[in-house]
Amino acid sequence: MSTMLQRAGNGEGSTVLKQSPYKEKPRSFDRLFRTRLNNKMFRIICFSSIALLCIVLFSIILFIGRTGILAFQSVPAATFFLSTNWTPEDEQFGAGLFIYGTLALTALTLLISTPISVGIAVFLSEIAPDWVKKTVRPILDLLVGIPSVVYGYLGLTVLIPFLQNVFGQPIGEGLLAAALVLTLMTLPTIARVSDDSIVAVPKKYRDAAYALGSTRLQVITKIVLPAANRGIMSAVILGMARAIGETMAVVMVIGNSPIIAEGLFGATSVLTSNIVMQIMNVAFDSTWNYALYMMAFLLLLISLILIILIRVIRPKGEVNV
Amino acid sequence: MKLFNKFTAIVLASALVISAGATLTSAASSLSGKITVNGSSALLPMTLQAAKEFKKKNPRVRIAASGSGSITGPQSVKKGIADIGAVDWDASTSVPGFPAFSGQVATPVAVIPFAAIVNKNVSVDNLTSDQLKGIYTGKIKNWKEVGGADAAIVVVTRSFGSGTRVNFELKALGGTRIDEKASGSIAASNSGTMATTVGSKPNSIGYVDLPYIKGDIKALKFEGVEATTANIVNGKYKIWGTGYYMTAGQPTGATKAFIDYVTSKEFQQGSLKKLKFIPLASIKK
Repeated sequence: MSTMLQRAGNGEGSTVLKQSPYKEKPRSFDRLFRTRLNNKMFRIICFSSIALLCIVLFSIILFIGRTGILAFQSVPAATFFLSTNWTPEDEQFGAGLFIYGTLALTALTLLISTPISVGIAVFLSEIAPDWVKKTVRPILDLLVGIPSVVYGYLGLTVLIPFLQNVFGQPIGEGLLAAALVLTLMTLPTIARVSDDSIVAVPKKYRDAAYALGSTRLQVITKIVLPAANRGIMSAVILGMARAIGETMAVVMVIGNSPIIAEGLFGATSVLTSNIVMQIMNVAFDSTWNYALYMMAFLLLLISLILIILIRVIRPKGEVNV
Repeated sequence: MKLFNKFTAIVLASALVISAGATLTSAASSLSGKITVNGSSALLPMTLQAAKEFKKKNPRVRIAASGSGSITGPQSVKKGIADIGAVDWDASTSVPGFPAFSGQVATPVAVIPFAAIVNKNVSVDNLTSDQLKGIYTGKIKNWKEVGGADAAIVVVTRSFGSGTRVNFELKALGGTRIDEKASGSIAASNSGTMATTVGSKPNSIGYVDLPYIKGDIKALKFEGVEATTANIVNGKYKIWGTGYYMTAGQPTGATKAFIDYVTSKEFQQGSLKKLKFIPLASIKK
């Protein structure tokens, strides 16, 4: 953009100078000045874009936080965070069960997803022949791009009847169904990022280990995985962030009842699913509305903490490799 | 400088074109203005169809319609961000869980038929109001208690604030509130999900408006009466709701003209019927 402007300015400038009838044209409008002006303008535009982004972002956080805090006017903070009685039509706002649901769902998802994803990553980077790498990696990248509502619909129409048949449960919705759907969604993220960090482990480490007579299993478990440890950690956190914030897929398979999950089957709710189910149906200036905003703010804080965690882990990992 | 001149020329030219266009259209119709409709997603297809036809007759009236949930309708009118709030119940009176919106006028626009639905594997095909009440408050938990097979009832409901739920509670359950905790129900986020959930889940029961009933679900008879538009019209079948347009005070100007069009015989007997709503005039009160 800037170079284009500059070039146009140059060409125009030279012709104007030759043909200009105004001989007394001020010196300050020469080519150098205009180039500098262009550069300066470009810089100002870039800076103001960033400033705008920051302002928008902070106003969003501020707005959500401020609206959310209004909830504490009529609901004590302790009740909000610890009570599990969510019956907004009777003025009972206990978000504890949603916080519990969110944490339980995320933990269960990572429990299933991490071993599989890291297994895939190890296979792709250490074991698989080239043609497998070349086909599987794009497939994993493609899986990230499928809209989550599609995963949710597949979960609702394929996975849940399957779970009902296999486990003989009257209701298939619940933590397990949601965790399985989320596993499929976080798997490509975790696998690809871990894959990259395993590939980044220098070849000389492996060569040295092989030279000492290690088997491939020993090289992978004793050398490669510990060396790629921090990269894998940040991959897991990235997957976790996706699992916590995911809404559309979860809302279709979790059952959406404001009850603490009794085991893996049986409807329950998480923060995201409860917000999306109710936000359309609440009065604008009600405690109920504020409570939903508070839950959104809570989610925001959780993701923020995760992002900070990634930032803390990442640089150290790079120094290591 | 050259760039600036070009830009000015373009701006001037487009301004001219726009003002010319405006003067041209102003000759076509006397009625003008902008109408914003917000609220019930169940009524949205009807509103959109009516808006399309109304705009053909009055090209200078612009209509923006969106559907995001019944309660949003009267709320938007209250806040002044919508001229018409579409809602599945009369929001100028209070219904279970929702206070009345005072100062708003409700104009009935269409009758929406509902039915209790079950998965096709359920052998029961008729339930009374008391049996439905029992199921939705958790007192009846097995199909054999209402004459079906020995299987646990899977209760599906809509989340609190849904217009369908309000109407179902009012008409089918006689004003009794649905109890999620006692019935162990799961909640569907909209009518489409409700139909999919009940269709894919054996032994499940739910409720939905008639146009959604197809595939692996069947409509239950209510108190022995089949859920058909004919039975609603002749007064035998009780589970139906009326869709309302809420306005702040009596409607005026373009808003009034639009509501008049929606309630006109031409629209009620034509497009409204095709969309599977029931014309207001067909119902004997």
